Amino acid sequence: MKTIRIGGGQGFWGDLNDAPVTMAKQDCVDYIACDYLAELTLSIMRRQQERNPERGYARDFITALKEMLPDLKEKGTKVITNAGGMNVKAAVEVIKQAVMESGLHFKIGYVLGDDVKDLIPKLRAQGISMEHMDTGESIDRILPNMVNANVYYGVEPILECLEGGADIIILGRSTDTAMFEAPLIYEFGWKEDDWTAKATGILAGHLCECGAQATGGNYDYDWRNVPRPEFLGYPIAEISEPGRLIMTKTRNTGGLVTPQSIKEQLMYEIHDPSKYITPDVVADFSKITLNGLEQDRVAVNGVTGHPRPDTLKLCVGYLEGYRNIAYLPYSWPDALEKAKMAAQILDKRMAMKGLKAIRTRADYLGLNALHGPLAPELQQELNEVVLRYAVMTETRAEALKLTPEIAPVSNLNGPAQGCFFGGRTRPSEVFALWPTLIPRDAVKLTSYVEEV
Amino acid sequence: MKVQLREIAHGRCGDKSDTSNICIYAREHKYYAAMEKQLTAEVVRHHFEGLVFGDVIRYDLPQLDGFNFVMHHALDGGATRSLRLDSLGKCMEAALLRFEIKIDE
Repeated sequence: MKTIRIGGGQGFWGDLNDAPVTMAKQDCVDYIACDYLAELTLSIMRRQQERNPERGYARDFITALKEMLPDLKEKGTKVITNAGGMNVKAAVEVIKQAVMESGLHFKIGYVLGDDVKDLIPKLRAQGISMEHMDTGESIDRILPNMVNANVYYGVEPILECLEGGADIIILGRSTDTAMFEAPLIYEFGWKEDDWTAKATGILAGHLCECGAQATGGNYDYDWRNVPRPEFLGYPIAEISEPGRLIMTKTRNTGGLVTPQSIKEQLMYEIHDPSKYITPDVVADFSKITLNGLEQDRVAVNGVTGHPRPDTLKLCVGYLEGYRNIAYLPYSWPDALEKAKMAAQILDKRMAMKGLKAIRTRADYLGLNALHGPLAPELQQELNEVVLRYAVMTETRAEALKLTPEIAPVSNLNGPAQGCFFGGRTRPSEVFALWPTLIPRDAVKLTSYVEEV
Repeated sequence: MKVQLREIAHGRCGDKSDTSNICIYAREHKYYAAMEKQLTAEVVRHHFEGLVFGDVIRYDLPQLDGFNFVMHHALDGGATRSLRLDSLGKCMEAALLRFEIKIDE
């Protein structure tokens, strides 16, 4: 029986960069998919691109790819990634250069068309309303502050790259799961309406797309006993037939794959387990069963699927305001009392300056900054505590009002304040997201394959 | 006997916009019934008062001895806009582990 092995080499922008290199070197997989994009990533990448037209993609991928090239060639492993981010073209140019320098030959595939920022007025004129998915509000209010607008696409343009013989495929905002689904459809020739087959690919993608989270990272069940977390192996899915797969990880690495590690990842960022909506299929994870096989191998059975939705998700990032956050650490005795007094002093100083804030908050690291009102009552005096003072405003100028007030508090308050974290605070942009749905034919995605 | 959920369960939490989800599984099958009975959506909503401001929905996964809780208006407007230190809600599951549950001795 034909088996395809597909690994998740990267779970987010900034993830362990040698994980896909180790996978290419130490194991033998057919495909490695590397996910770099979270909800906020594209807004940040757009800002990078605005400052420098050659940027706006995940440059970490280039570093990893250079090291992977000899193994990819030798083993015939293909790589699919959304590292192209906001600037697929620039990423492709750098990758072509890296391939040329390696002296090896590869076919590079890429997809353009998910960046629809410039099309939004035209789509509005066509009567596509783009109301907020959850609230139903009209999009017009946020359009003046739009930073980026990207369509989450499915397998079709990735399949075109594979059919064109691409070995390395660079994408923008494809869904994470489509990077895993497309090669499986390509390899097995699954029919367009074989929803259970397609759900199997989505499941493989879902379990692999967060890298270490399937293989012993963030392992609530038994984190103390995860072998060699410093060299944790990233996940690999083995697929032979629709409806089932086997999860494992890169050979000769740390980490683990157990029914519990898979369980924890299975529901990660899932809402209704019977309706995981993707552009390719609505997958049903609600009846999945897990079965531990030999060490670091778990069988995942029982996924099914239903017809795909008629729409695609469009996510518009827009500038909502500015955030300025300061950290002030205080020592025993009376650490918490001093930290609270610092917050009061800042409240009054900000009022004296007429701060117009959308929101402000004060939290105490070591006491309640992570669990807020759920933190238990203090049983004994803290040896040290850190005040975290945060403001959010509409304009940068308003947020900046906090910055010069932080240092003086060290002399206005009681004694024994440690150094500020990270020096002088600076306002940063706050992006908000506008998720909406648009008809599939409202966007045109185009695939390219170039030989290098 | 009353124990904290941390003794008998494990799980993970994730974020999508202003919604947080927590999956929580019994460490051993024998604890599932107690969790099914006591860890209702209403009880979880009450547990998170002051941190979660919307509806809580529970999805049951009996074949895996667990549940998926979906909590709305849970993340101070969502990761990108939140002023919280835990903007991604990575500590929400840990906050649930403090819940006290009655089990047979």
